[in-house]
Amino acid sequence: MKLKHTMLLTALLLGSAAFAATPKDTLVLQQSNDTPTLDPTANYDTGSANMIENMYETLWTYKGNSLREFTPLLATKVPTFTNGGKTLTVDLRKNVKFHSGNAFSCDDAQYTFERNLVTNSAESGNWFLAEALTGTQSNANDDKTVTWDKINKAVACNSKGQLVFTLPKADPAFLAKLAFSGQSILDKQWAIKQGEWDGTEKTWKDWVGKDVQGSNLSKNPSGTGPYQLVNRDANALLFKAFAGYWGGKPAIQNVIVQKIPELAARQQAFLRGDADLIEAGSRANIEEQLKGKPGVVIVDGLPNTTATGIFMNENIKASDALGSGKLDGNGIPANFFSDANLRRGFANSFNYAQYIQDVQQGKGKQRTMLLPDSFPGYDAKIKTYSYDAAKAKSYFQKAWGGNVWKTGFTLNADYRAGSVAAQTAMEILKKNVEALNPKFKINIKAKQWSEMLNDSKQGKEPMIIIGWAPDYADADNFMYTFYSSNGYYFPRSNWKDAAVDKWLDQARATVNTAERNKLYSQVANRAYEQAPYLLVPAGVNVFAVRDNLVGATAANYNPMLGSSSLYNGSPWKVLSKK
Amino acid sequence: MLNFIIRRVAQIPLVMLALSLLLFVIIFQLTPEQRAAGYIRSEQQAAQMDSIIRQRGLDKPFPIQYSKWLASTVQGDLGFSRTSSKPVLDTIKERLPSTIELSLYAGIPIVLLGIWLGTLSALNKDRFVDQFLRVIAVLGTSLPSFVLGIVLLKFLYGSLGWLPGPGQVDVLNQFAVLDPTFKHYTGMLSIDAMLNGRWAVAGDVLRHLVMPVLTLVIIFSANILKVMRAQMLETLTSDYVRTARAKGLGSKAVNLKHARRNALLPIVTLTGFVAINLLAGAIITETIFAYPGVGQWVGDAARNLDISAVMGFALLSAVIVVVISTLTDLFYGVVDPRVRFD
Repeated sequence: MKLKHTMLLTALLLGSAAFAATPKDTLVLQQSNDTPTLDPTANYDTGSANMIENMYETLWTYKGNSLREFTPLLATKVPTFTNGGKTLTVDLRKNVKFHSGNAFSCDDAQYTFERNLVTNSAESGNWFLAEALTGTQSNANDDKTVTWDKINKAVACNSKGQLVFTLPKADPAFLAKLAFSGQSILDKQWAIKQGEWDGTEKTWKDWVGKDVQGSNLSKNPSGTGPYQLVNRDANALLFKAFAGYWGGKPAIQNVIVQKIPELAARQQAFLRGDADLIEAGSRANIEEQLKGKPGVVIVDGLPNTTATGIFMNENIKASDALGSGKLDGNGIPANFFSDANLRRGFANSFNYAQYIQDVQQGKGKQRTMLLPDSFPGYDAKIKTYSYDAAKAKSYFQKAWGGNVWKTGFTLNADYRAGSVAAQTAMEILKKNVEALNPKFKINIKAKQWSEMLNDSKQGKEPMIIIGWAPDYADADNFMYTFYSSNGYYFPRSNWKDAAVDKWLDQARATVNTAERNKLYSQVANRAYEQAPYLLVPAGVNVFAVRDNLVGATAANYNPMLGSSSLYNGSPWKVLSKK
Repeated sequence: MLNFIIRRVAQIPLVMLALSLLLFVIIFQLTPEQRAAGYIRSEQQAAQMDSIIRQRGLDKPFPIQYSKWLASTVQGDLGFSRTSSKPVLDTIKERLPSTIELSLYAGIPIVLLGIWLGTLSALNKDRFVDQFLRVIAVLGTSLPSFVLGIVLLKFLYGSLGWLPGPGQVDVLNQFAVLDPTFKHYTGMLSIDAMLNGRWAVAGDVLRHLVMPVLTLVIIFSANILKVMRAQMLETLTSDYVRTARAKGLGSKAVNLKHARRNALLPIVTLTGFVAINLLAGAIITETIFAYPGVGQWVGDAARNLDISAVMGFALLSAVIVVVISTLTDLFYGVVDPRVRFD
């Protein structure tokens, strides 16, 4: 079968490509990224996600460029919760084939989610599926409450062939979690034939925590998606349109993904028309090297789903970072940032417009909360801080009963080595704060990422700049992470607000959207008052595309897709060439 | 001579053991978090860092980690490379032939050109040719390969379109070489294409090789040129050359047969180094030109702290260094019969 396919492909290509740099029915993509895995269970990076999204299918996906609406894929409709948000019953599509030729059934879906829960390796994104279905982020090795019985009951097929999820408690983010490409449906028979887990209780323990990145399924994938893998070598992946695809024949018949590590090489190939889409680097790279060149179209003004903040740690646990450790001008006390007036002073000292101009080439947006503005739950009406030296001075004068203004301080702050954006942000802040009072000193220095990760986790960093990218399009993924005292970032900020904790817990316990939105607005308002973070403006995404490529538009751009960070943020099946 | 070869071959495991121990000691200076960073690509994965450290055993003491690595290595398992998403041994098997292919196409011109230009420069001392070649040699030795590579790429491919872009073959041939009827005899694509009778593919591979080969030739032949020139100048003033001239031998015979042969002795050693350095040079060149050899892989692996890959590459390098040093020593004896191996 493989021989016939490849010969056919070659013949097709030779016919169609005689006069074109890239053939009309072939999409050529160039990226610096590796493709770490083609096994959805192990997928947790954009490089893998982009391939998996086109080969496999989830039960539903994001509708067009929306992050608030879903459209069914292997489900026939997007279901609604019953039983107080604890049961989700999914009707599955009939007459769907996998690339192997096997027919898709509920058994495949059940196997998929059980495999994800069983393995749940540390590097994978299955922790958030496990949290929803077993009540813990851990696998059975790390948490003994995870039993086969629990996994088996969490996801099952009923007598009508429907897939039934039973959650221990309501999880309003569950629908969004299932849209993540890591939850793509596997071909059970094929997986077992490749030597993967056999799906039984007898062997499940052997697979707990197993890293399946390089699994046999990764080498020989079989999904229900519009494209199937033809072959892969050291630097290229080749795909062809799946003839048996239930969703109709895509216009692009062949896709070749080449690994070209050097940006200059990718740019030259793109300008010459040898590549249709490339990983084009930063906005500056695109605007300076590609914009205005013949055959190039720039698609700008696209949503960005990363939220970045400057953390002000209220309980610094590193004595060496504190200088004198006192409010005497030569250092800071460990709880320096526990005074809201001081935090407001810093928030009013940051020149947001200058950051947008210097780092984002004028294309940035000041957000009201640490949540992407395209996400459900975002409230544009919350007040924001602006650069105002007079206000900043007034807050600094009030901080610590006037002692900060009187004695001054020396603050040691780090930024991630190699990050120009983080360095610039810290330099802007340093300049403006030091200009307020000659006794104010901020020392900034670069630090390796791994070191910073470790120190910040232990609460040793007084002030750092970090971002968060979404796992799934739900406000909880950001709001809980940043603002809850049980959230992932708490050890870095040590900001605890009892009301905020309560609101965030309430928001993750109800599936009522209006109620959740209200709660998130309350959190954002409180965060504005208390200023636990300094909100760094969000960039605006942009990509470059060859002018003969049709469908690579803002209307098809979804920032939750793996391709949003590399190419044009849309599935290959919506593209064609003229 | 046989004893000499056996002794050298027997050294390989010892060299590899010492090297692996040294590397492991160096790597162990990093904290478990720093080593775990190789498994992390985002803040989301960083949230799982403690589990990653625990599951990978990165918090275990040095003897346990090293003995575990050694035990699996002795059994032929060099570990899994996260960079290539394949076992290290499979990655080396897949990529090494491409690097050898690039090294062969570059290595032969490097040596021949270096010797020829060095000789030419010495024979024309202080004339225009000599001065011109000395400038070229300075440029070649001082230009970083990534600068030269990008300049070549920009002009020969981007601006002029004379040569194909990055990669090993064009899009069409990419599909052709994956055709199951295309047999991969050696793993060296140009040679395999010829053996398959696919001349268009072979031509395409060779065209893609021009820029990376040119980059390596310009960088590496400059060194040989300089050494050859210096050696030739020294040899040309030696007594036996004067004697040869006094005997009435023609300048061609004196220069090429008597002077150059003796001047070649240090070039033999240098050629060995060139062969070894080509492997290191390939890291940059293969990355710029997206050439799928071991150099590109290990460059990425080092950036990603892919420890299995780095260790595997170090062992491969050790083998290559010992083998090439042995061959160099043997070849030294061929050039200079006075050298004995007893």
